Order: sequence, then C-alpha cells, then structure tokens
Amino acid sequence: MSLILGMDIWVFLAWIGTILVAIFCVLYGIYYEYFKSNEKESSKVKKKQKQKKVVK
Amino acid sequence: MDVIFFIVFMALFVGMFSIIGFFGYMKTKTAEDYFVAGRKMGSIVIAFSYGATFISAVALIGFSGIASLYGHAILWLALLNILVGILIAFIVYGFRTRKMGLSLKAVTLPELLGNRFNSTRLQAVSGLIIAVFMVAYTSAVFLAVSSLFVVTFGVPYEVCVVIFTIVVGVYLIVGGLYAVMWTHAIQGVLMVVGMLILTVGIYGMLGGVGPAHEAAADMTPEDLGVPLHRGMAPNPWNFTTGNQTVVITLYPLEQLFIDDGFVIKSISPPPGEIGVPLNVDIVIVFNHKVAPSTFIYSCDPDPGGWSEEWNEGYTQVTLSRDDFEQEAIYTFEVTAATSGIGSPAGELAPSGLTSMPPLLSPSFLMILTLIFGVGIGVLAQPQLIVRYLSAKNEKALRRAIPYGGVFILLMTFTAFSIGPLCNVLMANNGLFYPGSPDKVVPLVVDELFPQWFVFLFLFAVLAAAMSTASALFHTAGASIGRDVYEKGLKRGGSEKKSLLITRVATLGIVCATLIISLNPPEVVAIMTAFFFGLMAVTFLAPYTLMLYWKKTSRAGAWVGMLGGFIFTMLWYALVYFKTAPQIIGSSITSNYMINMLDPIFIGLPLSFFLTFVVSKIVKQDKAETQTMQKAFENI
Repeated sequence: MSLILGMDIWVFLAWIGTILVAIFCVLYGIYYEYFKSNEKESSKVKKKQKQKKVVK
Repeated sequence: MDVIFFIVFMALFVGMFSIIGFFGYMKTKTAEDYFVAGRKMGSIVIAFSYGATFISAVALIGFSGIASLYGHAILWLALLNILVGILIAFIVYGFRTRKMGLSLKAVTLPELLGNRFNSTRLQAVSGLIIAVFMVAYTSAVFLAVSSLFVVTFGVPYEVCVVIFTIVVGVYLIVGGLYAVMWTHAIQGVLMVVGMLILTVGIYGMLGGVGPAHEAAADMTPEDLGVPLHRGMAPNPWNFTTGNQTVVITLYPLEQLFIDDGFVIKSISPPPGEIGVPLNVDIVIVFNHKVAPSTFIYSCDPDPGGWSEEWNEGYTQVTLSRDDFEQEAIYTFEVTAATSGIGSPAGELAPSGLTSMPPLLSPSFLMILTLIFGVGIGVLAQPQLIVRYLSAKNEKALRRAIPYGGVFILLMTFTAFSIGPLCNVLMANNGLFYPGSPDKVVPLVVDELFPQWFVFLFLFAVLAAAMSTASALFHTAGASIGRDVYEKGLKRGGSEKKSLLITRVATLGIVCATLIISLNPPEVVAIMTAFFFGLMAVTFLAPYTLMLYWKKTSRAGAWVGMLGGFIFTMLWYALVYFKTAPQIIGSSITSNYMINMLDPIFIGLPLSFFLTFVVSKIVKQDKAETQTMQKAFENI
C-alpha cells in the first residue's frame, strides 16, 4: 500500500484532518473577530443612516 | 540533587499558586464568584482552563503510551478532540448552556438540570453521581502522576500524594474558581511548552515528519515485539551431564528450526546431548533481537545461581549457573521471550504503526472504543460545562474556540503523534519497552533528552495532573455542597452559608481523595477507564434535549439519566473486557465484538430514546412549563 508522509490513507486523513480542524477553529475566530463584527457594525451604520434619512 | 530540584520546583509551584489562591480569595465575595468565577472570565483563560481541565496527565502520558501500542490510528481521537471537544462543544453546547445557566441562575450542571426541570431531587441525585465517581477519578490522576515522581526523583509515594493534594486543595478552597482558572492558564502554558519541545525534539531526532513516520512504518512486528514461536521450537529440551549413556532426543533435529516468525536459531548444549561437562554454559541464539526483560526460562532440577549475559545485538544469551550435578538429566525450557523492543505493539498494531488495523479486528475495535468513548464523552463532563457558565459573554466563548483548538492540537495531536515514534527511538537507542504504556514517553524523555528538559517535562505533566484535579475537586465539592446538601437536603440558605458549606464539602472531597490515593483500591485504576463514558451516557441525553427540545420533561430526564447510568454500570460490571474481569472475574460473553464495545455505543442512544419517549408520554406539569419558558427566554 502506498504511504503518504509515511502513513496509510486513513491515518493520513486523521492526521491532516486534525490540523485542518484546528485551522478551521482559528479561521472561525478570525471571522467572528474581524468580519462578522464588521458586518454587524456596517449593518448598524446602515440602520443609523436610514434612520437619519427618515428623520430628514 | 534530584530531591533538591524537586523541593525547589515544588516550592516555586506552591508559592505561585498560593499567591494566585490569595488573589482568588480577594475576588471571591459571592457564591457565584466561587462557583463560576463571577461569570467574568475572558476568552484566553476559558480556553486554557477548558483545555487544561480536559487534558490530564492521563491524556499526555497514558494516551501517548497507548498510541505507542496501537500506532498513529489513534490520531482519529485527536481529530475528535478538536472537532467535538472544541468546535461542537462550544458552538452547539457552550453558547446555549451559558444563556440557560444565566436565565436559571445555575452554577453547576446538576443545578442546571434541577432548575430546568424544577426538581431539587434531580439536582441532588446527579450531584451525588458526579461527586462519587469524581473522587475516584481524581485519585487515579494523583496516583499516576505520583508514581512518575517516585520513579524520577525517588521521593516516597506518600509524600508526593500528600504534597500534591494539599497544594491543589489549599488554592482551590481559598481561591475558588478564580484561582482554579488562573492557575490553569499558567499550567496550560507549561504544558504547551513541554509538549512543544518534546514533539520538536522527537521529530528532530528522527529527521523530520516524513522520515520519522517512514521509520515507524518500516518497523516490522518482529522489530516491535512478537512472542517466541513455540510451535516447532526445540523447547523444552534435555541434556545429560557426566557419563550417562541414555540418549533423549525430544524432536527430530530437522524439525527444530523453522524460518518464519521469531524462533530459537540454535542451542548449546544441543537437545539430547550426553556427557555435558558440569561447568558448561547454556547458549541460546535467536533469529531476531530479544527484549531481555521478556526472556523467561526454567530448568528442572534447578541448580540455582543463574546469571544472564547478552551479546551486543541481543540475539544471543549465555546462561551460567552453579555447577550441575554429576550424571543427572536436566530439562531446560524457554518459557517466554518477545522479539525486538518487547512492545505489545507487534501484535496490537498488526498493519504497522502508521496504518489502520484491519476492519473489525480487536485492535480496530479498541481504537474505535477509545475514539468514541473519550471523543464523544467530552460533551457531558460536568467539570468542563462549568467553563461555559464562567464566561463573561458569548463573545468570550466564541473567542475561546481558536485558542482551545490550537491548545488541544498542541496537546493530544502531539502526544498521539510522538507515541508511535517512541518505538523507533527505543529501537535505535538500545532501549526496550518498559513494561507499561504509561512508562514509554517518560522512558524516552529520561534517556534521550537533557536533564533540564526531564524536569521541565515532569512538571508539565504535574501541571496537567494538578489542573485536572483542581477542576475535579471544585466540581465534586460543588456537587456535594451545593447540589446534594444545600439544595437536596437543606433546601436553601444564605449565600454566605452556601459558600461555607461548599468550602467544607470541598475540604471533605480533598480529604477523601487523599485517603483513597494513599491506599488506592483496585477500583480506582478502573475509574479512569470509564469516567468519561459514564458521565456521557448518564448526562448527555437529558443535557442535550434540555437545551434544544422545549418539551423535554422531568420524568424524561429522570428516566434517561438513570437508564443510561444503570446500563453503563451493568455493562462495565458484566460485559466490558477491561472492567468485568476485575469485578466479576470474567466477561459474560467471550465475543470480542461485544465485550470490547464501549457502553457509549448502546447506552447513549438508549438514554436519548428513553428521555425522548418518556417525555412524550409523561408531559411537563405547569411548574415545569414555567421554568422551561424561563430557561428559553434568552435563547
């Protein structure tokens, strides 16, 4: 059986999968820290702008 | 020198944790402060505390040792540790648990269950289950780490246990969850540093990731350890001293030696030899390297005074003894010998260290059991659930996910990766399997790393043990003080009294653990094997449905919880291959497909089924519906 980095395919999947899940955790954190909050903020800003327009 | 180093390092630990305990004491004004750190904890402390609680010394030392036996296939557990233990745990359970805990003013898992289903009895019974099994589990944690210190520093076991228990007990009782979580952050850093250096060191010694894994893959079962092939071996054989004329040949000589497997290549004096001189040495040559500690032999009659000498490659042993008697027939037998480094890995990893074992083989089932027992079991650990309740807001929990993911990666992924590689290092450096998987990594560290790292690693392991133990003490103390005594027996009281009762209960738990650790009954060692599974099968179904299904009723929770608990206890006592032999002598079934199955595979679906069906049949009453509405008001 051919080996990837010295591991068979099932063990390699577990190995790479663990690293990918950990990277996903980091990306999840980055997304919620920087992008999700920006989305919320931008939607808040849009709401405020709309409210201002209505007042005008 | 070692003892002095031990004293200096322990003094540093005690000093540092005492200061933290004092700060924790200053911050602890209310019961909520003590139980859930005032619900004010930030993301980094939550992540490290959750990880340090989750990863005990057993996980670092024990599981890396198990990985050395079963190979890299156990990396699936590392995957589940992050996927289930961090991602699903925080996203699916953490956020809702925190919100519901806030609405119901709950500070423990039993209190969450009790308040959600409007039943102080449910709270008391679940608190009792948690406390009883946690004391034994904590003892097992101390037992493991103390044994390690006894071997390395030569400090008596009793002294180690007393010191560790007192240090943890004092900063916990004084400083509450604040002290526990802050110390976890420090202990977590120590664990990360220790595991990182260890992993980089081991991969470095083997030339990097690819070469290291390839070296592990190249190890044959004979290199790792297979038992002596006795089918055709000349064993036992006779020889006669002096001038006797009787010729005894047990086997035709052409059948003595076979090519396959691990066998004896030649023996001297040969079978049936007569007139053997009284001072002759017995020389046995094997066709493969032998682990000397596994070589066992007998001689009848036994002249006594044997001495054993091995050649450099451990393929030949010369046995000398006091003189044989004149004109006597001696029957000599090699009872057992294991090839290579003498590790059970030769048989337990039949496809090699870097491959999955054959589907449904005993090794495959063992790995499956470990992966799901621990991997899924993590979701319903009361000591971990408290971490969600301590978060200052949802953002802190959300931010804890990346830190937690990386922390677990640096803990279990590294531990499970280096375990199998230890076999290569042992083979390359003339070391042999130390007789227990728990000793594999300590042996490699002790023999192949510089002395400063040996100490650093030991204290990283101690930090892992202390962090888990303090969390367990805290949860068990809260279970007895708050859930069983205050809510179950006394039904209410002032906040100051609540705090006092819990501190006294925690002291009681610490003392009970100390007594058990000093004189551990056999059952303590078994506890580590089934604590995670037992907690999962008992609590996961009512806990999950309580969070997500508004119609879950008190009766459903009772039946699901007790059904899961009773089933698991019965399975461990009667069926499970590791525990049943120690409880009733042998498993009631010899079918390994059944007796190797972790109860979580049957118990968990059963518990979910019981909770669901009984909730459908016995509906919520008015009071329950009101508490349910309150529980979901923030969700």
